[in-house]
Amino acid sequence: MVAAVANRAARALQSLVVVAILIAAPSRALADDAGSSLTDDRILDASDSAVHVQSVMTRVTSFDQFGHGFQAQGGPTPMSPGSERLTVFEPQGEVVATQGDRITHRVWIPVDVVTNASPDAIDVVSSASRHVEAGSIDWTTTYRASRTTDLSMRSGLHLENPFRSWDSGMAIRRSYADEATVVSASALAVYDWFDRFNIHGTREGKTDRNGTTGSLGITQVLTPTTVASVNYGFTAQEGTMGNTWNSVPLATGGRGPELLPNERMRHALVARAAQWLPWNGALRLYYRFYADDWGIVAHTVETQLMQRLTPELYVGGYYRFHTQTGASFFTTLAPLDATLRVADSDLAPLDSETIGGKIVMDLPLSGDIRVLHMEVACERYVRTNDLQMNIVSWATGFRF
Amino acid sequence: MKGRAFALIAVLAVAVSACATVPQNRRAHLADPMMSLTDEPLDAARRQKLYDVREGAAGGDGASAGGGCGCQ
Repeated sequence: MVAAVANRAARALQSLVVVAILIAAPSRALADDAGSSLTDDRILDASDSAVHVQSVMTRVTSFDQFGHGFQAQGGPTPMSPGSERLTVFEPQGEVVATQGDRITHRVWIPVDVVTNASPDAIDVVSSASRHVEAGSIDWTTTYRASRTTDLSMRSGLHLENPFRSWDSGMAIRRSYADEATVVSASALAVYDWFDRFNIHGTREGKTDRNGTTGSLGITQVLTPTTVASVNYGFTAQEGTMGNTWNSVPLATGGRGPELLPNERMRHALVARAAQWLPWNGALRLYYRFYADDWGIVAHTVETQLMQRLTPELYVGGYYRFHTQTGASFFTTLAPLDATLRVADSDLAPLDSETIGGKIVMDLPLSGDIRVLHMEVACERYVRTNDLQMNIVSWATGFRF
Repeated sequence: MKGRAFALIAVLAVAVSACATVPQNRRAHLADPMMSLTDEPLDAARRQKLYDVREGAAGGDGASAGGGCGCQ
């Protein structure tokens, strides 16, 4: 009897010890956590304020332009079009970094090295812009306000020998239906401050212009293999609209300066679609309608056909066609009493075609660098009013 | 007129399609970089620059439109 009671007491004691251990263990674990470096935040990868670089991309592009335009001096006679020979070497760099789990920064730095930057007039009479280097820095910060809403702020500065430009803008992006629908809106203000030259290349002080751009777009997943978007945007500008040194052949002989409106309102509607093709390819379509109050109406279509060759490599070919009416006051021989006149070949009625191709490789790597990105593209641009351009572009980058 | 008709059709197509949502686990093909509606940002920038500079129909795309001439 005594033995049985003792056994029962021993089992009860054992049970009490087990219960005590079970109760005490978690509290000891919590106590240990307080001193441990492995916190809940670290396990769950919760936010910290450290900056993590996500990708670094570089791209170098060369533009080699040939042609003639009526705004350019230096032709055989004052009435004939002058050369628009131009080469541009354009390196670009881009860094994307996250700061915590809600903030993403994008810093973009394009640089232009231009020979004959202003062949349209100035370089015929001076060498002020035979060789120009220009650079910009553009910083965009995106804040993820919620699972469905992103807010972005953007600021930029452009520096060039006779030219300064500042821009600042904001954008909002909101997704619906599990990201099947994305609605976005943006606004951007731009202020340009630059030297005014006459058509003989003499500096005549400073001038400026400003522009406000707004856009509204929607992107929709249509099927498991089709996505499309529509975007409308406008740009309202006022100030000195030309580069100030372009010239216009006059009916009386000789040349005079452009006479342009001080305001311009532009509208553009863009539709895009991408369709997955069953043989590991993709078809991308683009259409843009443009109209402004200077009388230019333009239509642009582009098709891109992509083909994946391996999981790391795909190739693409593209064709673009653009047609535009000219500005209502475009002329190649202006009467002296014209209140508005321009001979700029870019504002003329014209058609243009671009044909090109590219090879893109995304090579997975081990270690800190996740992917090596490499791309090479070649293009030929031809315009109906005597302008051609050859473009070669090479990109490399890392994703982390 | 044709441009307006195209725009109307595009908007209607997008609006009607929103009635049925494609679940995320069926969007694997859409994640391929080839299916991106826009080019990689630096590629898009260099292409946009060419057209902004050489065609007087720039702007209205949410980006700077440069000057009144084709030049930036």
